[in-house]
Amino acid sequence: MKTNLASLLDYYYESMYPELKALEEKRQSIVATLKKAAFILLVIATILFLFLTKNAILIPLNALMVSGMGAFLIFMFIYRHESAGYGSLFKDQVIEKIIHFLDASLIYDKTGSMSEHEYQQSELFLESYDRFSGHDLISGKIEGVDVRFCDLHVEKKVRTKNNNEEWHDIFTGLFFMADFNKTFHSKVVVLPDVAERSLGVLGSWMQGMNVQRGELIKLDHVEFEKLFVVYGSDQIESRYILSHAFMEKIVQFRTKIGKPLYLSFVDSKIFLALNYTKPLFEPILSRSLLEFNYIKDYFELLAMIVSIVNEFKLNEKLWSKR
Amino acid sequence: METFLVVAGVILLIIVFMYNTLISKKNQVENIFAGLDAVLKKRYDLLPNLVASVKEYMVHERATLEKITELRSKALNGSLDSRETIALDKQLSSMLSNLMVAVENYPTLKANENFLHLQGTLNELEEQISAARRAYNQSVTDYNNAIEMFPTNFMASAMKLVRKEVFSIPSNERANVDVKNLFQK
Repeated sequence: MKTNLASLLDYYYESMYPELKALEEKRQSIVATLKKAAFILLVIATILFLFLTKNAILIPLNALMVSGMGAFLIFMFIYRHESAGYGSLFKDQVIEKIIHFLDASLIYDKTGSMSEHEYQQSELFLESYDRFSGHDLISGKIEGVDVRFCDLHVEKKVRTKNNNEEWHDIFTGLFFMADFNKTFHSKVVVLPDVAERSLGVLGSWMQGMNVQRGELIKLDHVEFEKLFVVYGSDQIESRYILSHAFMEKIVQFRTKIGKPLYLSFVDSKIFLALNYTKPLFEPILSRSLLEFNYIKDYFELLAMIVSIVNEFKLNEKLWSKR
Repeated sequence: METFLVVAGVILLIIVFMYNTLISKKNQVENIFAGLDAVLKKRYDLLPNLVASVKEYMVHERATLEKITELRSKALNGSLDSRETIALDKQLSSMLSNLMVAVENYPTLKANENFLHLQGTLNELEEQISAARRAYNQSVTDYNNAIEMFPTNFMASAMKLVRKEVFSIPSNERANVDVKNLFQK
């Protein structure tokens, strides 16, 4: 596995640059089309607004809303249509290439997703959901460890006070699964600690009352306890999984990424979920592909995910797993 | 009269709650101790094989091997209480780590297939024992807190509950000693 930025720079200029130049032309033509469309729609919307107000069909506020909304919707339609093809090409020529640069054996499927079964098996989010979608599935072996991960979006439909429908996120971000290096039979779930941090002892007491999650496991690592709350079905096995060295690595990883981290250990597998509010592998139309820094961001994100195996030493198996 | 009944009812409820809390903490300690005992037993079962496979190589470590055998039979013979088990485990752990350091001087032993297998099993058992010790210590701490803190301390003294001892884990073990690495130095 290569995670060296200097070697990425060589790879970028040698293997990616020629194709990216062609793709960059496409991006520029899309941006030009979008600018043109925005200009034309603005003109049409202004004419429509003037027409509606002049003929006293609508009051100015309503006329502004009708013309503005109409133009916006048409623009969004054009934007989606134009960027869809570009997004797909971007994934082929940027994301897939970076993944193969990091580890040639990994398989990338831009439309693939982790299954609902895997999501439910993790027991990370117990809330019921109404919409499940994922893309950019990456699977294969890293250092001999089976891994699968994708960009996942799980939502729930809720009714507002005005009886309108709204979609609320249950989880959006990176969902990662790998073989764990120890054999175990119980379940352990590690969640960000919100209650104890904000409510202190009362929060800790409330955590203990969460019967849905199982037994509260209090651990002997101060930093880890501050960041996480742990539930498990077996006091001893939970500590077998969460050894001191492993808790230390989790704390370091959590500090490094600075995002809410969810972990679970089920059926000798480790599940990891990282909250991201933006799509992970989608292109940004306003940024030039010929800027190395832009490509570097995707590289750093993918390198971070691929490095989880090493960071958590998932490849160092104990005797029973050999 | 009614007020008296309400107050008496509340007091009774508090007493029941405290009693149940103490009993559940005491049982939790016993339950986890049983789990710890099970993994310690696994280690005792492994010891004769370990001793047998290293005996012919480690001529200078006879005293350590004899001590290990003696400690094992002590552990299996009588019914030890938790305090004695803790003390015995401590001695055995230190003997085993001495043995593992001594292995360094026997290259042929380090290459022995049978011994490598034992070493792997022992490594895993040590991880399990360490987990069980940590779980036991946490349950004992919860229990000790409950019997010493106000107001459950009154209830605990009425129930004649006494403090329990925790395992003092050597600092090198806290960092998850890797037996495998010890051998590969």
